Amino acid sequence: MTVDQAIGSSVRQEFERALDPRDVISDPVQCRAYECDGLTGYRVTPQLVLLPRDAAQVAAAVRVCAAHGVPFVARGAGTGLSGGALPVADGVVISLARLKRVLEVDPVNRRAVVEPGVTNLEITAAAAPHGLYYAPDPSSQQVCTIGGNVAENSGGAHCLKYGFTSHHVLAMEVVLPDGSTVTLGSPTGEQLGPDLRGVFLGSEGTLGITTSITVKLLRTPETVRTLLADFPSVRAAGDVVSDIVAAGIVPAAVEMMDTLAIEAAEQAVHAGYTVGVPAALVVELDGPIEECDGQFAQVKAICEAHGCTRLHIAGSPEERAAIWRGRKAAFAAVGRISPDYFVQDGVVPRTRLAEVLDRIAELGRDAGMRVANVFHAGDGNLHPLVLFNAAAGETERAETLSGAIAELCVEFGGSLSGEHGIGTDKACSMPTMFDDDDLDVMRRVRDAFDPAGICNPGKVLPTPRLCGERPGRYQPHPLEESGVIERL
Amino acid sequence: MNPVTTPLRPADLADLRAAVLDTSGPIAISGAGTAADWAGALGPVGAVLDTTGLTGVITHNPGDMTVSVRAGTPLRSLTDELAPHGQHVSFDAARVADGATVGGLLATADAGPSALVYGSLRDLVIGVTLVLADGTIAHSGGHVIKNVAGFDLAKVVHGSYGTLAVVAEVVLRLHPVPQATATLAVDCLLADAAERARRVLGSPCEPVALEWVGANAVEGRLLVRIEGTEDATPARAERVAELVGSASRDGSWDAHADLVRGTPSAAVLRLGVLPSRLPDLLGSLPGVRGIAAGLGTGVATVSLDPSGVADAHALVHAAGGTSVLRARPAGAGLPGWGPPPSALAVLKAVKTSLDPQGRFGPGRFDPWM
Repeated sequence: MTVDQAIGSSVRQEFERALDPRDVISDPVQCRAYECDGLTGYRVTPQLVLLPRDAAQVAAAVRVCAAHGVPFVARGAGTGLSGGALPVADGVVISLARLKRVLEVDPVNRRAVVEPGVTNLEITAAAAPHGLYYAPDPSSQQVCTIGGNVAENSGGAHCLKYGFTSHHVLAMEVVLPDGSTVTLGSPTGEQLGPDLRGVFLGSEGTLGITTSITVKLLRTPETVRTLLADFPSVRAAGDVVSDIVAAGIVPAAVEMMDTLAIEAAEQAVHAGYTVGVPAALVVELDGPIEECDGQFAQVKAICEAHGCTRLHIAGSPEERAAIWRGRKAAFAAVGRISPDYFVQDGVVPRTRLAEVLDRIAELGRDAGMRVANVFHAGDGNLHPLVLFNAAAGETERAETLSGAIAELCVEFGGSLSGEHGIGTDKACSMPTMFDDDDLDVMRRVRDAFDPAGICNPGKVLPTPRLCGERPGRYQPHPLEESGVIERL
Repeated sequence: MNPVTTPLRPADLADLRAAVLDTSGPIAISGAGTAADWAGALGPVGAVLDTTGLTGVITHNPGDMTVSVRAGTPLRSLTDELAPHGQHVSFDAARVADGATVGGLLATADAGPSALVYGSLRDLVIGVTLVLADGTIAHSGGHVIKNVAGFDLAKVVHGSYGTLAVVAEVVLRLHPVPQATATLAVDCLLADAAERARRVLGSPCEPVALEWVGANAVEGRLLVRIEGTEDATPARAERVAELVGSASRDGSWDAHADLVRGTPSAAVLRLGVLPSRLPDLLGSLPGVRGIAAGLGTGVATVSLDPSGVADAHALVHAAGGTSVLRARPAGAGLPGWGPPPSALAVLKAVKTSLDPQGRFGPGRFDPWM
């Protein structure tokens, strides 16, 4: 299909009038730069890429889409890992990269108003002079944008204690799929009717496009204590986490890495992890000094009681940064020990971690592939990394294994995704977690925002085109309804 | 309430679905009745669906700190059941003590002083089971706190006042019951309290609640609650005391809860505005009889002379805030809401999509829809 067939030149000119003509990219070679997000296995070149410069231009662009039924996909930094920003072949990509102003930092009310293209870390940078910070901290926080965080309801290492994007976004200005602009949420936690703000958060770009976001800022904790502990088994490390929770402690973060992940991270960033140990835990506590010191002593005692083979306590901000560098580099570092890898993102009830990890290892053995594990142990969010060699033709086998791991998480009473989203990647797995009625009601909610179905179509919910025909909701034939025919 | 037929009181999910399907026309959904007259006045209905027969814990996973309950369970009963495990739902709305149900608290978007740290139920609910007006049973979420799979139906019903679906089951995230709590109380003027509140919020003391109570918008009392370990709490309380000035260490929240409930002759308005604007806004409201104001959250519950409600809605709106009427004198025809939100068309579309015949909770969003 050529450009002119899908989006005619008159529609393209409308986009050029809505924006600046220079901000409408139609050259297929340039458009190809937008063909995928962080999940590079899926690639679709869009018809056009639009680069609006402000909220009014976003609304104008969406109005053109709405008028002509052109599907659109919003895009932030393109760091998503579920194909949520995968373009639609007959549609446009609306990049929010140029909406990157911090509109307001309000230290008195402890909030900031930012445009969607501002990166997660830039919010904290803008707030830091006031002793404030933005809490959600996905590993990609240096580059991922707040607009994308809103779409995915992103988490991060510290969400066990501090919650997800949804807990920190008070309000958003949103361009709806019909091109109108509304505010969802309010200056406080109060709302006028149903929590549409909360429905929008984590809807993966299917309900509209944010053009400004009001986030809560927290006061920087008085103190932070971080330790890195090695254990003789994943099970022992898991027991430590259980005991910490049973002691009534809510750590700021509890992260676990297995031996493969440690090896990779250490090769990449030399953060001081012990190569060869079966499991390492990063535990971080923060808060008022009196509180933090007492609980940190308890955590150390729990680690020792479970046969910890090495306990390294960060003695300076630099040492703490090194520990986190190792953890946060783990995904990319796996590239050091394997030519290719898939990142999985399932969640299991935390108490079943050890069992699930055994099963994952089994699945890996059966498939003849290595699986490295990095995960948020406090909340049961696993990030198994399936290592493979595409050049050796292992891609399909790795993909199958990765999918099986996600579905295993559902089998254990968990979820397909903790923070990366369903996107394109897992839409077809949704029926393992939700029945037809669940999905139908979700679709009804989505349709209320986007009756024309032009806003990031094909994501989150399974479609026949994407997943093959499945028996859908029973629909009576019109002749049946009028009594002309009868179904027996 | 309307003079209606005997309430339907289903005992389980299948019963509940049957009750919805066996009736036609408008239905009111009721819980413990602690918020029966909140928001818009209920219009004529042919049946009342009483959810108080849907009680009990379905699954409690102490190690995972999650619990699922039937929506008619009073939160205080759940609190009692969880107490031996040292866990609770971090939620302290005043009407919990009056027997409010989990489903009712969710549907009315209620929250108490600890919303400063823990938010409202929208921040604590991790899964939900709904029954729609056409009998469809739908779930979202589950028993894991971190979960982004699918659309979050719990958010759809949070603050829906029984107009979109019956909440049948709710999964909640739990927190450890703190070993110790302390409330610092100091008598002070509202303007002064706001300044002291800023000092506390700007400090590393991490208060879990920070409210001012008063009979009018001038004189009253500042309450600051902290929670933590037995060892650390006394020292932290001293630090807060230094920041707020001479203060008693064992402040009571009873007066706060009473102000939130209001009195039978007053109208109770719940409002939210940027915290820095709250003192001035409260000072401008007509016929104030009592105030419980979250100086950190910007959320206040205000008792008013009923004649002042319409003006109060307008003043809150002009200050960029939100307001909803809660309790009102019996039979008083007062506006439940102020001007509609900009997303009214979406609210209407969600209503039409989930309850196309408009069966649930007629009148609750009058005059918007």
